Amino acid sequence: MTPLLEVRDLAKHYPVKSGIVVARQVGTVRAVDGVSFAVNRGETLALVGESGCGKSTTARLALRLIEPSAGSIHFDGRDVTRIGGAALRALRRRAQIVFQDPYASLNPRLNVGDAIAEPMAVHGIGNAASRRARVEELLGLVGLAPFHAARFPHEFSGGQRQRIGIARALSMQPELIVCDEPVSALDVSIQAQVVNLLKDLQRRFGLAYLFIAHDLAVVKHVADRVAVMYLGRILEVASKRALFAAPRHPYTRALLAAIPHPDPQRRGRVTPLGGDVPSPMAIPPGCRFHTRCPAAQAICREQDPALRPLADGHQVACHLAETLPEAISDTGAGFAPAAARRLALFAKARAAV
Amino acid sequence: MSATTAPVIIAPPRPGLLRRLTRDPAAAAALAFVVLVILAAIFAPLLAPTDPFDNDLSSAMKPPGSEGLPLGADAQGRDLITRLLYGMRMSLLMGFAAVILGGGIGAILGFLAAFYQRWLDAPIMRLVDIMLSFPAILFGLAIAAILGPGILAVVLALSVATVPLMARIVRGSALVVMRQDYIEAARATGMSDLRLIWRHLAPNCLSAIFVFATLRFGQVILLGSALSFLGLGAQPPIPELGAMASEGRTFLFFAPHIAVIPSVAIFLVVLAFNLLGDALRDALDPRLRV
Repeated sequence: MTPLLEVRDLAKHYPVKSGIVVARQVGTVRAVDGVSFAVNRGETLALVGESGCGKSTTARLALRLIEPSAGSIHFDGRDVTRIGGAALRALRRRAQIVFQDPYASLNPRLNVGDAIAEPMAVHGIGNAASRRARVEELLGLVGLAPFHAARFPHEFSGGQRQRIGIARALSMQPELIVCDEPVSALDVSIQAQVVNLLKDLQRRFGLAYLFIAHDLAVVKHVADRVAVMYLGRILEVASKRALFAAPRHPYTRALLAAIPHPDPQRRGRVTPLGGDVPSPMAIPPGCRFHTRCPAAQAICREQDPALRPLADGHQVACHLAETLPEAISDTGAGFAPAAARRLALFAKARAAV
Repeated sequence: MSATTAPVIIAPPRPGLLRRLTRDPAAAAALAFVVLVILAAIFAPLLAPTDPFDNDLSSAMKPPGSEGLPLGADAQGRDLITRLLYGMRMSLLMGFAAVILGGGIGAILGFLAAFYQRWLDAPIMRLVDIMLSFPAILFGLAIAAILGPGILAVVLALSVATVPLMARIVRGSALVVMRQDYIEAARATGMSDLRLIWRHLAPNCLSAIFVFATLRFGQVILLGSALSFLGLGAQPPIPELGAMASEGRTFLFFAPHIAVIPSVAIFLVVLAFNLLGDALRDALDPRLRV
C-alpha cells in the first residue's frame, strides 16, 4: 500500500545575507536538512524534537506552504513537489493544517461561520445554504453549538478556538491533517479535551495526522508511530510502543529521560544532556548529535550516520545503535513501596468515583 | 468531552455599529457634526440665502450680527454664510477626492509590497521614497504648470502627495498581518492571492487605513487651502475655505471675521473628522466589541 504522504530527503535551507548595499550570502541556516518519512492512511505519525529543530518547517514543507530547497514530496503516490495551479489546489483540499496558536490562526474579522465555510466557498463546494448546514454540522462535530457560527473569534476561549480551527480544517473532508503543536498553547485540562477530540475525529473519518509536538506525554497518547528530530534531521523512527520501551538513539533516550517523573527515587539517576543545541548555521560534521552525545566515539565525529532500519520498522540514525546498552526503562516502576501503595489506593479511589 | 450538552444558551444581541460608534459622547458629537457638515455641503444650493457670487459692495466687510447677515459679509459684500456653505462643499470634495484617489492607490501599492515581498517590496518602496522626497507644494506647482491651475490640479497634487504616505502605512500594517497564522491557514485552503488580500489581509489593516485617512483628510484640506492661497487651486471668485481665509488675511485688522470664520470652519471640520476616525477605529475593531 502506498503511504498517503511520503517525503524523501526533504531540505529547506535559508540563505543568511549581510551587507547594506550589496547583500552577500554569509551562511546558510539548514532548518530542515534531509528528512524522510511516510504517513499511512488513518495513522498518526508524531514528529517530536526540541524547539528550533525544524519540526514546523517540515510540516509546512510537507503541505507545500513553503518551497523545499531539495527532496521530494509524494501525496497518495503522486509527486507533488513542483505542482502548482489546479493540481496544488486539489492537494489543498486533501491536506489541511491545524496551528499551534489558536489566537493567531483565526482571522479576527471573519465570524466563525464564514471562517469554517470559506474553504468550501474557495473550492466551490455546495451553495450558501448547504455550506451553512455543513458549518452547523462541523460545529457540532467539534463540540460547539450552531449559534456560535455568528460569533467572532475573540469571543471564544483558547480551547474553543482550537476546535474552530479543527472544524475549518475538516470542512473539506481532508485525508491528512498536519497538526502543528495543536495543544501546546492550551491548558493541560483543555489539552486532553482537544487531543481526545482529534482521536475521535480520526476514528470517525479515517484521518491521517502528522502530529508535531514537543510534549512526549501528549505524543504517547495520540501517536501510532514517532519520529524524533534533531537539528533538521530525523534520528529515530519507531512505533510508539517500541520507541518508549526501547529507544535506540542516545538522543531519544535523553528526551525520554527528561520527561518529568513523579518519583523522587529517580532523582540523580538521570543525567540530563549537557550543552545547547548547536546552531543550524553550523551543524557539526559527522553525526550532528555527537557534540552532546554521552556515547560518542571517533566514528561519530567523522561519519554522518544514515537512517537505517533495525527490526520491525524501527529506524535509527546512530552508528552505535546495536552496541549501546539497553536503555533503563523505568517508566512507572521504581517507586518506594510506601509511595506505590498510596498511589494504588489513590487510583482505586478515583476509579470508584 | 463535548460542550453541546450544556443547557440551552441564548445568544445575546450585540450592539450595532452605530451604537458602538456613539458610545463616547465626543465621538457622537463629532459624528453629528460631520453628518451636518456633509449634508450642508450637499444641499448648499438649497440652504444658502443668496448666490455665492452675488456681491453687494454696500454691505462689504459688514461684521457678524449685521441685519440680514448673521455671519457678516466679505470684502466684496458677499454673504459669508453662503460662502461658507459653498466653500465647505469645495474643500470637502477636494479632501475626499484626494484621500480616496491617493489613499486608494497608496493602499494597493502597500498591499502589493507586503504580499509579494520578495519581488515587489523593494521596487515599490524605493518609488515611494522618491515620491516622499518631493514636497506637496512642488507637485502642485508641477501639475498646475501642466494642467493649468484649478481644482483638478489641486486634487491630483494632493493625491500624489498622499500615495507614498498611505503606501508606507499600509505596508507596515500588512507586514504584521502577513506573519499571522490565519494568513497561512488561508493559503492552505488554496484560495487565490486576490481573495486572500481582499478577505484576510485588507480587513485586518483597516484600522490603520481609517486612522491615517482621517488624519490625512485634515492635512489635505489644509494643504489644499495652501495651494489655493498660492493661486494654484480654486480661482476667485470660486469659494473655497482656504482661499477665503487667505482673501480675508488682507483685512485681518479691520474685519477679522472674514479670515476667522473660514479658519474656524476648517479647524472644526478637521477636528470632527479626527475624532470620528478614532471612534471608527474602535468601533470597527471586533476585539473591542462588548
